[in-house]
Amino acid sequence: MSRQTKMFGEKAFDLLKELERSSQTIPAFDDDGVRQVLEEIKAIFEENVAQASSYNASGDRSLWPLLNFRHAALQRNKRCLLAYLYERCRRIKALRWEFGPIIPGDIKQALCEPEVTFFNNYSKSLAAYMCSAGYNQGLPIDLTNNLRPPKSLYIEVRCMEDYGKFELDDGEVIHLKKNSQHYLPRAQVESLVRQGILHHIA
Amino acid sequence: MSDVEDVPETQLEIDVSDGAGLEDEDDDDMEQITAQKVLEIIETAWINEMCAPEILPSQTDMLELMVSQVAHMEEQMRDLDKNDFRAVVHSMELERVRYIMASYMRCRLQKIETFTQHILNQEESREPDDKRLSPEETKFAQEFASNVDEYFHKVATQYMPNQQRGEADQRIVTPNLMSHVFLKANVAVPAVIVGVDDEEVDMAAGSQHIIPYQLVADLIQNNQAQLI
Repeated sequence: MSRQTKMFGEKAFDLLKELERSSQTIPAFDDDGVRQVLEEIKAIFEENVAQASSYNASGDRSLWPLLNFRHAALQRNKRCLLAYLYERCRRIKALRWEFGPIIPGDIKQALCEPEVTFFNNYSKSLAAYMCSAGYNQGLPIDLTNNLRPPKSLYIEVRCMEDYGKFELDDGEVIHLKKNSQHYLPRAQVESLVRQGILHHIA
Repeated sequence: MSDVEDVPETQLEIDVSDGAGLEDEDDDDMEQITAQKVLEIIETAWINEMCAPEILPSQTDMLELMVSQVAHMEEQMRDLDKNDFRAVVHSMELERVRYIMASYMRCRLQKIETFTQHILNQEESREPDDKRLSPEETKFAQEFASNVDEYFHKVATQYMPNQQRGEADQRIVTPNLMSHVFLKANVAVPAVIVGVDDEEVDMAAGSQHIIPYQLVADLIQNNQAQLI
């Protein structure tokens, strides 16, 4: 039995540690780890149920600490597992703010299917909120813009890739070519800067 | 605060243009203060919201006024020469206002996301006039809560033994209301109870204090003090 060489809850804790230590935006969903923890929970639970019934039948008080201990282990497993999921939730939310309503392909691979659903639903409610936040003006307020206090109206940017034409609010069309530098209104190019197409130079 | 809310919107729109000096300078002093006041209220609400551990009553009316003012100012800016010095100043000011509003709403959303269930429970026990969330925020909170629950259920809880599934109330995150905040008294407040042993402190107008949030929460809501 492997459980004799391993402490309860170790796997669940590993899940959390790994997530915490990873340097990626979001590491791949640890399908295997989650399943192992769930199995452990189930195993502990079944053992407890079996012993609880024998405890009820015999009234043997010596079983009591063991039952309590298992229950604590079970709670801990559950807590670690949910903390793992919650932290991923948090990072997925951050993705929405950073990249907008579409998940970049390489990150999408790290998510499991319920997580993608979560992202889409979150994105939808956020968009709905932003639309209604314009009140009766019919103008949605994009909360993902204006992330930093404005220091100046215009910023100097360098173009990191060939983006093509970009039309400003006043109708002026700018050709964004790789390595070209521009002096543009901050509000309108902020999202491009965040996507990494433009690079803000001091 | 209430006297500002009663001002008809059309009047306020005139204020903005006057206050901003986009039109002829025939401004009325009273009106100018009103436009300024809305911004001031929003600014205070924003700072309070950023500093307070719990969610504060939403300033829906003020935001609504501000949004329409911003829209109105934008309209007027369009007629202005782009290289006019005033245009630059005004659009900078607009940017700042927009940032404050966006940051204010973001901050509230963040609190809603963190304390979802706690806030929803509290809202339920409040009278309709007393609600802290705007209808849009309530909707967002509910959607968010069910969203997270659904995700937890799909990935984990549905595979757990029956008795372990519930206990959702154990997962409720509550803000720490006893965390210390910096605050400034707007008016003189006598005999504020601080600490557990009913110790009292008189706050002079304009004085600054560090104090656990819960003890002064009502002062902030009555606008007798503000967080800094």
